[in-house]
Amino acid sequence: MTLETEVQVLRRVPMFRGLDKGRLKLLAFTSERVSFPGGQILFNRGDTSDAAYVILDGRADALLDTPAGAFKVAEFGAHDIVGEMGVLADTPRTATVRAATDLLVLRIDKQVFLELLNQFPQISIAVMRELAHRLERTTIRLAETAPADGASPSHD
Amino acid sequence: MFRYIWRYSKRDQIAIFIVVIASLPFYFLSLDLPKQIVNDAIVGQAFRDGVTHTTFLDLGFDLPAFLGGGTVTLFPGISVNQIGLLLGLSFLFLAFVCINGAFKYWINIAKGALGERMLRRLRFDLFSTVVRFTPDTLRAVRPSETATIIKDEVEPIGGFIGDAFVQPLLLASQAATAMTFIMMQSVQLGLVVLFIVGIQFTVIPRLRRIQLRLGKERQLASRLLAGRIGEVVEGMDAVHAHGTGRWEKAEIGERLYRLFDLRFRIFKWKFMVKFLNNFLSQLTPFFFYSVGGYFALTGRLDIGQLVAVIAAYRDLPPPLKELIDWDQQRLDVQIKYDQIIQQFVPEHLLPEEPGISAGINTTRLAGPVSIEKLRVLDSNGATLVDDISVSWEYPASVALVGNPSPAPHAIADVLARRIIPAAGTVTIAGQDFLRLPEEVTGRRIACAGAQPRLFPGSLRHNLLYGLQHKVTPADSRLPDTADAAEYIRIREALRTGNPLDSPDDDWLDHATIGMLSDKEIDDMLLENLALVGMGDDVFNFGINGWVDTARYPALADKIVEARNHLRARLAQCDMSELIETFDESRYANLASIGENLLFGASRDPLFNGRGRARNPLLLRVLDAEGLTGDLVGIGARIASTMMEIFADLPPDHPLVTQFSFLASNEMDDYERALSRWSQQGLRGLGPDDRERLLAPSFDYIEPRHRLSLLDDALRARILKARRHVRDEIARTDGQWNLEPYDPDKLCHNAMLRDNLLFGRVDLRIANARARVTKVVVDVVNDLELRPAISAVGLDFEVGPGGRMLTARQRGGADLVRCIVKKPDILVIDGALSAFSDTDADAILECLHTLFSDRCLVMIGRDETGLSGFDTVITFNDEGSFSQREDAAGAPPRRQSALT
Repeated sequence: MTLETEVQVLRRVPMFRGLDKGRLKLLAFTSERVSFPGGQILFNRGDTSDAAYVILDGRADALLDTPAGAFKVAEFGAHDIVGEMGVLADTPRTATVRAATDLLVLRIDKQVFLELLNQFPQISIAVMRELAHRLERTTIRLAETAPADGASPSHD
Repeated sequence: MFRYIWRYSKRDQIAIFIVVIASLPFYFLSLDLPKQIVNDAIVGQAFRDGVTHTTFLDLGFDLPAFLGGGTVTLFPGISVNQIGLLLGLSFLFLAFVCINGAFKYWINIAKGALGERMLRRLRFDLFSTVVRFTPDTLRAVRPSETATIIKDEVEPIGGFIGDAFVQPLLLASQAATAMTFIMMQSVQLGLVVLFIVGIQFTVIPRLRRIQLRLGKERQLASRLLAGRIGEVVEGMDAVHAHGTGRWEKAEIGERLYRLFDLRFRIFKWKFMVKFLNNFLSQLTPFFFYSVGGYFALTGRLDIGQLVAVIAAYRDLPPPLKELIDWDQQRLDVQIKYDQIIQQFVPEHLLPEEPGISAGINTTRLAGPVSIEKLRVLDSNGATLVDDISVSWEYPASVALVGNPSPAPHAIADVLARRIIPAAGTVTIAGQDFLRLPEEVTGRRIACAGAQPRLFPGSLRHNLLYGLQHKVTPADSRLPDTADAAEYIRIREALRTGNPLDSPDDDWLDHATIGMLSDKEIDDMLLENLALVGMGDDVFNFGINGWVDTARYPALADKIVEARNHLRARLAQCDMSELIETFDESRYANLASIGENLLFGASRDPLFNGRGRARNPLLLRVLDAEGLTGDLVGIGARIASTMMEIFADLPPDHPLVTQFSFLASNEMDDYERALSRWSQQGLRGLGPDDRERLLAPSFDYIEPRHRLSLLDDALRARILKARRHVRDEIARTDGQWNLEPYDPDKLCHNAMLRDNLLFGRVDLRIANARARVTKVVVDVVNDLELRPAISAVGLDFEVGPGGRMLTARQRGGADLVRCIVKKPDILVIDGALSAFSDTDADAILECLHTLFSDRCLVMIGRDETGLSGFDTVITFNDEGSFSQREDAAGAPPRRQSALT
């Protein structure tokens, strides 16, 4: 897999969809390609957020430890980006992420990612747009589920 | 200055002068001979009246009348004909030429040696004076200024010394001879010459004095410039931190302008004086022709005399000119000398250390400390502390606490000899501490301050610095060794008042540490480093360091053994794919193209980085293998990709510096080179452009950079070129220091870590580096290689001022330096501030154990964490103090206030 194919993958990541080819190439070039064998942990909940990962190939699970054992909260596949929230918010990892199959990712170093956001408003706007979309989706989902969940006391 | 020169060089000066005098007759004879050759041999005056033979080489002289007259014949001479005479005289002339040359050679060598010896003495005297500066004086001294003075400003003095006495005597005598000759021919013309020479000698030095004054200003200004540049370089982080680069530039620019202005004014004067001098010289012939011609016409002087005067006058200006030049040089050097001396006569100097023949003073200071009525002034002369009296027993652990009271720190400064107290006495073990020589206090008292001063050199050298005390007394006599070089070294040292010790001698203070082997010393240092929590640091230095097999002969094999163990262990743990092992017959995918070509390590810049792209051997091989075009193509693709990727970033952006293959200041050059390459190919590239485009290709690693520039065919050709490089290196036999990778041998030019791995870690596999490191550490521990590798870490170069170390490492190194010299008293004055609290506590505990039978003094800000100390003396800000006794100690003394 070459830089060109990685650029093709990045182009399909929603967060980077609007970026022109030069930026995507910069993003790909400044990232490392790393492989994880199936079952290996990418990072644990509570670790410092040092990088974001774009999945090139394979699947990964986000897990939360519960008294009943690991509980899968999300699943990621090709073109998904993982761990970017911690990098943006500068908070520790909120969940553990584990490779479900053999996994090939593009590791974007935190410092590099923030540097890119600093330098290119275009990337910042793309990231903001994606976050806004997510928030919107979450709000809609909450709105859909809230009335059904009558047992919980309502908040202002 | 002349007194200084004369005092130390009179013997040599006289010797040179005698030789010069001795050479004069030969010189005059050689001047006279051409005339004889022409007149006697060629024109044939000696054969005029039909004489066909004459005597040659009839050496003899006429005895003066009072000895009875007559002639003493030394050699009756040989009878020769005209051709014989011609040849004889010609060969005689040749012989004189040789003799004169030999004289000149000897005189020049002697003068040069004399100058250099005086220079060495002068420089050494100046340096010795610097060593004796008191702490107060040192505060006002700028290091780089002192360095320029000792190095550069003394230089012209050395050049002058050889000529100082001989030259004026010689020139004056030459000038006087010519002058007398003119006077003998015609008194009037002689007076004219004398008059003009008089003007030359009075006016020109006067004019030159102005020139010299300017020269002096220039010297001061350039010295200040050097000092200023040194300061700015030293404080560069402050300059960056405050963004004051522009101000500093303006400041230096102004100084440069002043220097230029001074120089320019000097030029103007210099050439003015030169013009005047030339004019006066040319004026004399004018008088000869006009006045002398007039005399000749009126018959008061015959033409022959006039011609003779003019001929003699030709000999007069050169010595005169040189004499004036000498005088100029003398004034110039005198001013420089005075300037220099002025810098080196501060009011207070420390007493001279004992002479070279004295052995080491082994006085110990293991006894109670008593400080009475101590008064310390600050650098402005204001009283810092006054009337402090404290004492403690021996052994003891004492904490001096005071915040904001400066007393504890002042006491530490006094004990460390950083300050000379204005009043009071300090008695240690019954001895007057302030009168003890430095070698005693330096060896028996250690003080670890907050800002340790390390010297460039290896970590080991720095740790042992406190033990640099030669125990054996130096022999002040010439050794009767057969070692000629050593003999000459010592003879020269004696002649120039320099020390006879050589830095290569065994300087270790064996009186303190005993006779230890190199390995035992390393072990001792490592043990102490572990004590201050630097065990891992020094191990890391070692594993990232280079192995000096001369020092560790057994280590090479052990490392190869560890390499094999590591390989086996990785295979065992199913981790073999984490490292791609070097294999001479395979292309290493995880290594760069350059590494694959060389397949070896070198510390020659021509085999590293950009140097490879202009390495003639490599270029030759690439051309021969037809690879130049391919690699330049790869480099060009990389360059254009970099330009595309980083086009919108400012050239010094961190991303560019971190990731780009191209130096940001060369972007324009690359653009031009690329367009030439795309239009005309390899033929269109000059050597610079080719170097530029070739360089990125050497750093290219396909799996890492992923530009898909390599295919199997090219890999195979690079492999072939690798063999070619190896053959070529073997053929040029030792001219290139490239050490090939060999699975069974240590590669001295590669880092220890690379030698263990003998391959490249595959960073594409998650956590590969951490996993490999863990296995490496395991293998190292299993084979018990840790101490040996740490010992390699002792070779780590700490850089100027220890800048290659972190603050904590510097602090640790300083503590170890203090501990290993086994002082009777150890003062900790802020040395623990570089450590975290837990580390500091652990270190302090170790120190308590180490110094349980000696004296440990801790300077603290408050009483927290001082529970381990027997005695805690707290100074409050009024100058009074209280003393807490936990164990045996001196009873509390009087409490006093500031006067």
